[in-house]
Amino acid sequence: MPVLNIDHLTKDYGSGRGVFDVTFEVNKGEVFGFLGPNGAGKTTTIRHIMGFSRPQHGTTTVNGLDSWTQHYVIQRDVGYLPGEIALPEELTGTQFIAMMAELRGMSDMTYTDYLTSKFELEPSGGLKRMSLGMKRKLAIVTAFMHDPDTLVLDEPTSGLDPVMQDIFISFIKDEKERGKTILLSSHIFSEVDATCDRIAIIKDGHLVSTFVADDLRHNESKTFKIEFASTTDFERFREQIEGPKKLDVISVKPHRNQVRVLIDDAHVNELIATLADYHLKFFSEIKFTLEDYFMKFYDRNTSVEMETPNATN
Amino acid sequence: MFSKTIFKQTLRSNWKLWAIFTAIMAAMSALVIAVFDPKMIQGMMDMIKSMPGVADMIDESMLSGATSLLGMLGQSFYGMQGILLGLIFVIMTANTLVASQVDRGSMAYLLSTPIKRTRVVGTQALYLISSILSMFLVVTIVGLSTVQLAHHGLWGTEYTADVKAAAALLEVDEETVDEDLTLIRDNPQAITAGAEARGVDQDVYTIYLNQKLANNAYQAAADALGVDVAAVTADPTLIRNSPEALSAAGAVLGLDSTTYATQLDQLIAQSALSADHAQEMQGKVVAGLTAAAEVLDIEPGDLAQDMGKIKANPAALGAAADAAALIPAESFPEGTPPAAVHQANEAAFLSIINAQLANDEISLDNGLDFSVKDYLLLNLGAFLLMFAIGGISFLFSCVFNLSKNSLALGAGIPVAFFIFQIMSQVGSSLESFKYLSLNTLFDPNAITSHGTFVPQFAILAVLGITLYATGIKVFKEKDLPL
Repeated sequence: MPVLNIDHLTKDYGSGRGVFDVTFEVNKGEVFGFLGPNGAGKTTTIRHIMGFSRPQHGTTTVNGLDSWTQHYVIQRDVGYLPGEIALPEELTGTQFIAMMAELRGMSDMTYTDYLTSKFELEPSGGLKRMSLGMKRKLAIVTAFMHDPDTLVLDEPTSGLDPVMQDIFISFIKDEKERGKTILLSSHIFSEVDATCDRIAIIKDGHLVSTFVADDLRHNESKTFKIEFASTTDFERFREQIEGPKKLDVISVKPHRNQVRVLIDDAHVNELIATLADYHLKFFSEIKFTLEDYFMKFYDRNTSVEMETPNATN
Repeated sequence: MFSKTIFKQTLRSNWKLWAIFTAIMAAMSALVIAVFDPKMIQGMMDMIKSMPGVADMIDESMLSGATSLLGMLGQSFYGMQGILLGLIFVIMTANTLVASQVDRGSMAYLLSTPIKRTRVVGTQALYLISSILSMFLVVTIVGLSTVQLAHHGLWGTEYTADVKAAAALLEVDEETVDEDLTLIRDNPQAITAGAEARGVDQDVYTIYLNQKLANNAYQAAADALGVDVAAVTADPTLIRNSPEALSAAGAVLGLDSTTYATQLDQLIAQSALSADHAQEMQGKVVAGLTAAAEVLDIEPGDLAQDMGKIKANPAALGAAADAAALIPAESFPEGTPPAAVHQANEAAFLSIINAQLANDEISLDNGLDFSVKDYLLLNLGAFLLMFAIGGISFLFSCVFNLSKNSLALGAGIPVAFFIFQIMSQVGSSLESFKYLSLNTLFDPNAITSHGTFVPQFAILAVLGITLYATGIKVFKEKDLPL
């Protein structure tokens, strides 16, 4: 039985917003990446998992219990890190931790103290004057303090400095080793890439792809970057590849006569044969990343003239 | 339905607002009680009544209500300031407790613990209710203490200090003395003790006693006739024409019917004369007061409030007596020495002062006819009104996810109720507005003048409970954008 089961979840907020027929499950001990830009429906899905919202269609369950009707039962074993940190401002961090411990019926604070020192949290100050980073750390500590078996993390590293991000990612890896089930929503590829076993991509409320991360890493297609010696060659190449669609142009940089192409390993000889007719400046493989895969879904409809926003080189 | 931990946190987050509003409300009600002066109010009322036209415009019950401390409190603090302040507190707190936490997102933390939604929101409702309750408890305790401190502890006992002192002296119980003041009047020692207990001299006290007895006699006559005491006071001939009334009133004074009838005839004759005379006397007294004020170096107006000061100062009394010249010069025989004229005038002025002081004592008795039960009922009513209004604000705080929407209705409706009630009091053409306002269900006047208020209280209570319960149910079943 999957720990988290999202079954045909639909919630229509109108004007195309919401989630539509989303189905996935997260199994015990799995780290599941939930990728999508802001507004794609990540938080809406998590809202339903946490029992904050009632589904219009479909169900979400945690350990087999319905999220909506059993929301207070499932919380016993779930750690939730919200995407937006809004803490009760009148309290100090220490008071807040004590309150959360009390609400969860905890008496042993050893693990909490361990987390506090691990994340270098200074909880004594008032929450109103705490820096965003400190608030995030406080939210992390309160999400993990009862050492839950299931973690629901909504963009957990936003607002953390790079050093803290590394500490957090290694912490997630440790938690994974300890057999925790983790749902990690993010739009930061590196952290998803570094931690997740399986990944789902959500776009405009629809799941567009769910895949095993390792499959992506050992992909049977490769991306190559090619720069032509002249504009003539560049244009000729583009015209030539319009015909037989064996390769996929990911992006072009006309001013540099550069093109990035995606091609199946099976067709790589044909590419090289084709390229033999051109004067090239260079030809190199770009290691395929999650980001590229992700962009496949998001940039498919954008104009060729546009550069991929996050493209490096 | 209740979580101690959440309550503790809510208390921690909201106590400051509670403390500020409670302090302001308690201070305000204490101030209104402390500055209450039945003599002054009585004077104002007499003035209003004497103005032709004005008296017709004002509701008679309003006038009579305002002369007692509770009546005045009901019209000022419990009709206006206290309600408005309570309203603002309730609106702000209700919004903070639910809608604002959902709007900001901090509610997510409470709901990511194994606590049912109904418990979270039920705790918030409980905080709101208990904060209103404790607010009015503080106001009530401060109010009662102020009555005790500022008005010489006259509340709670039906018997005035002189009755108690006389009862002790005469070795009978206080009730007996209170019901038959002739026991004091006919015993010089009791008069001495009574005067001392009241803090006035014996002359004043005797006049006070007689006046009080006369009032009691009117009351007895009114009871015998089955009419209001005001009717009898306005037209004593009613008593004169009824043998039962005569004997009842006479009994109070320790007189038989015939003797009392004679007294009454004199009184009726006197009051017919006095209308013109009073005007003339008034002018003379004012002249005397002005002269005495100059000697004492205080404002004549202030002196009029406290004429005992003249009595205590022979120079002032002398000046006042000469200036007032209450006894017309022609009434003295030819060749009366000036010293004798002066002395006679002084005695006349003194008797005016004594009558005034005795009158003040009567007003004090009437004005501070303070019923703790009515005072508690006033506060209970104000609490119930705030409880119900809190229910409205709380419901909308539960319904809406955005503070601004919660406030639009949760504050808008209570404020509209308040305004409608004020409008309904302004004139009879707007009176129907009272049916649009919940505030109408708390009518301080009905409490102080012993009208109907229990059904209204019950409606407020039931309505409030329904609103809170609905709020909790709505919150339990709604989507939260957390």
